Amino acid sequence: MNTINNQNPPKSWLVESILATIFCCLPFGIAGIVNAAKVESKFAQGDLEGAERASANAKKWTLISAALGVLVVVLAFIGTMLGFVGS
Amino acid sequence: MSEVNTKTYYYIGFALLGLGLLVFYKTYNPEVHSYFPKCPFLSLTGLQCPGCGSQRAVHHLLNGHFVNAFKQNALLLLAMPYVLLGLFLEFKKPLSKKLLNIRKRFFGSTAIWCILGIIFTFWIFRNLTF
Repeated sequence: MNTINNQNPPKSWLVESILATIFCCLPFGIAGIVNAAKVESKFAQGDLEGAERASANAKKWTLISAALGVLVVVLAFIGTMLGFVGS
Repeated sequence: MSEVNTKTYYYIGFALLGLGLLVFYKTYNPEVHSYFPKCPFLSLTGLQCPGCGSQRAVHHLLNGHFVNAFKQNALLLLAMPYVLLGLFLEFKKPLSKKLLNIRKRFFGSTAIWCILGIIFTFWIFRNLTF
């Protein structure tokens, strides 16, 4: 019952981090992917607490990327409309 | 009660924002229109980052032009099936033993380091060839 194999690992945010890497913020996305790897390796070692911590870290970087990504797209759009950037 | 309502508003807000972005990216080609943010890495170094071309790729994807999308950002197109499988495994709960095994093999720590390797390889090679 308590064996690791029967438990679901904590959310690794891997997919979200990959999307962040491709779509917006390379450094934050990579930080998310590294933390996703940490989630998986710590979970495999039975370190549930460490896995949870890495998961929270991965979540932080993913959310920063997502917020920054949307903000930049919206700002670029408004900036162009007002004639600050582009032509 | 009020918490449920706030959450619902958030979801509606995100859904509208997402829908708006999809329509925006489908309608306007980032190559032609200047409404789109430019990659800071490309602007500073003149080199493409792994994400460069993803806005153009999304535009082509949404219009069904897969070959053009592949040319703009091959990594994006190659990552799509993997990302969809990952999302499925993430939201399906609980996972059966078979699915847990698949998850372990393709989304475990070894697989993740491989993905990082692929991203960095792509980063280097897309700047070497044309």
